[in-house]
Amino acid sequence: MSRLRRKSRTRARLSVDNERCELFGICEWEAPALFELGRDGRLRYRRQPAAGELTQAAAAARCCPMQAIELRGGDDE
Amino acid sequence: MSDGDRIVIVGAGVAGLRAAERLRELGFDGELVIIGDEARKPYHRPSVSKQLVMGTARPSDMTLHAYTDLDARWRLGTRATHLDTAERVVHLPGVEQLWYDGLVIATGVVPRHLPGAMRHDPRVRVLRTVDDALAVRRALAASTRPAVVIGTGLIGCEFAASMRQLGRDVTLVGHARAPLYRFGPAIADSVSRLLAGHRAKLAMKSEIRHWISTKETFGLHLTNNQLVVASCVVLAIGSVPAVDWLRGSGLDISDGVLCEPTLFAEGADDVVVAGDTARWPNLRFDEVPRRVEHWLNAVESARAAAESLLAGRAAATPFTPLPRAWSSLYDVRLQMAGLPALAEDTVQLDRDVTGFVRAGELVGVCTWDRPHAMMRWTAELERRLPAPATTPAPAHAASTAGITRLATV
Ligand SMILES: Cc1cc2nc3c(=O)[nH]c(=O)nc-3n(C[C@H](O)[C@H](O)[C@H](O)COP(=O)(O)OP(=O)(O)OC[C@H]3O[C@@H](n4cnc5c(N)ncnc54)[C@H](O)[C@@H]3O)c2cc1C
Ligand code: SF4
Repeated sequence: MSRLRRKSRTRARLSVDNERCELFGICEWEAPALFELGRDGRLRYRRQPAAGELTQAAAAARCCPMQAIELRGGDDE
Repeated sequence: MSDGDRIVIVGAGVAGLRAAERLRELGFDGELVIIGDEARKPYHRPSVSKQLVMGTARPSDMTLHAYTDLDARWRLGTRATHLDTAERVVHLPGVEQLWYDGLVIATGVVPRHLPGAMRHDPRVRVLRTVDDALAVRRALAASTRPAVVIGTGLIGCEFAASMRQLGRDVTLVGHARAPLYRFGPAIADSVSRLLAGHRAKLAMKSEIRHWISTKETFGLHLTNNQLVVASCVVLAIGSVPAVDWLRGSGLDISDGVLCEPTLFAEGADDVVVAGDTARWPNLRFDEVPRRVEHWLNAVESARAAAESLLAGRAAATPFTPLPRAWSSLYDVRLQMAGLPALAEDTVQLDRDVTGFVRAGELVGVCTWDRPHAMMRWTAELERRLPAPATTPAPAHAASTAGITRLATV
């Protein structure tokens, strides 16, 4: 499941669990800077979101229908 | 914000969790109490009719996490029994009373019961909670007979797909002409073909004439004269808001909790509502208050309700989302945007893309396994149905002034 450990000092890391993801593309709608559902049906995403993109990243993780997005490290907002 | 302030959230589902998270994000540093009658922390309810009833995921895999420190006091396994808005207290079982400065109501809905159904038979079940999914699995394990589901909406169809994926026979029983008929004839046709292709049985335009229950056999006699012997019967005929505990609170609970456009409960200064149980006018469409029972709405309304509560009733801004929802049946992704329920008519916009039209205006879109098309059409709906402009400050500038003021009255 997705989570963000607040106290961690490492850079935020984003990952998508391939076993869970069903390619709905809702993450792209929430965070177009980070996710892209390709024409080939594959999901591409940025593994290391910048500090300014964490709000978007958390929004995508909250909305993902399969709860497939994991977000670790970094600091919130 | 003074340390003595307390916000109570009733309902520990996704909306309760996301409201708590947003309150902390916005800097609320008072006491946060979350009351939930299920004994579990908030979890991913959509998997109840999918992975959890199939047994392909464990309940613990479905726990939701917060993206900020909640520092909340959880009162799980505890049911709020009454609300006194004048005294600002929530009553808990026994004589316990919990005072609040701000209250978030997020108690969701409960499955509707079918008159005449043998609801005390352990083989008659509903699907809302993890415990419900586990109870259905127990009933299935006790007999190799087919499963029956009454109701052919999203949960009924998802359950039928789950049964076939387990290799179990299943019969869907429904009033309508076809399953998911409210999403228009094209979607109904696609889902009928999908279910039939996977050999789920459909008994449409029918209902139950008799329930037959002996120790060994359990079954249904349908109005189409079919007799179905069953291992379990799942009732999936819609839901009703969980607002019993609000009787006598003075809030309008005729269908969920009636709210202002900002999600403040109508007439209340310190009560906001989120998730399935909130009935509010979405000014993007019109001024008619409605409820929306979908996951993304629970997430978004919870954040908006938290923002409203902290901004205070006078400064709060209307919640005007473009609703979006999804379901998955086998590997088909079914997606919705807008408010299809408002439509008088449907049009075919593209292959597997149904448009919903009211007075010549597009008010919703539903796609059958076309996620890219859904993204395009969601953007198109946003363009055609813009959120009305509001003057007050945006959410991020929301202050905690509202709560501070309440605490000092
Ligand atoms: C089987 C199923 C499948 C679904 N699938 C999808 C899907 O695929 N896509 C989609 O978009 N949506 C789906 N939904 C809808 C989605 O899950 C809901 O919209 C969402 O869970 C609503 O969140 P909520 O927090 O408002 O209510 P809930 O999640 O119901 O949470 C409310 C909580 O409050 C508790 N409560 C109630 N009364 C009291 C009280 N008096 N005191 C204390 N606690 C109380 C309840 O027990 C519950 O735990 C599905 C729903 C179900 C039941
Ligand atoms: S929203 Fe979730 S399921 Fe959908 S494509 Fe993104 S990660 Fe996958």
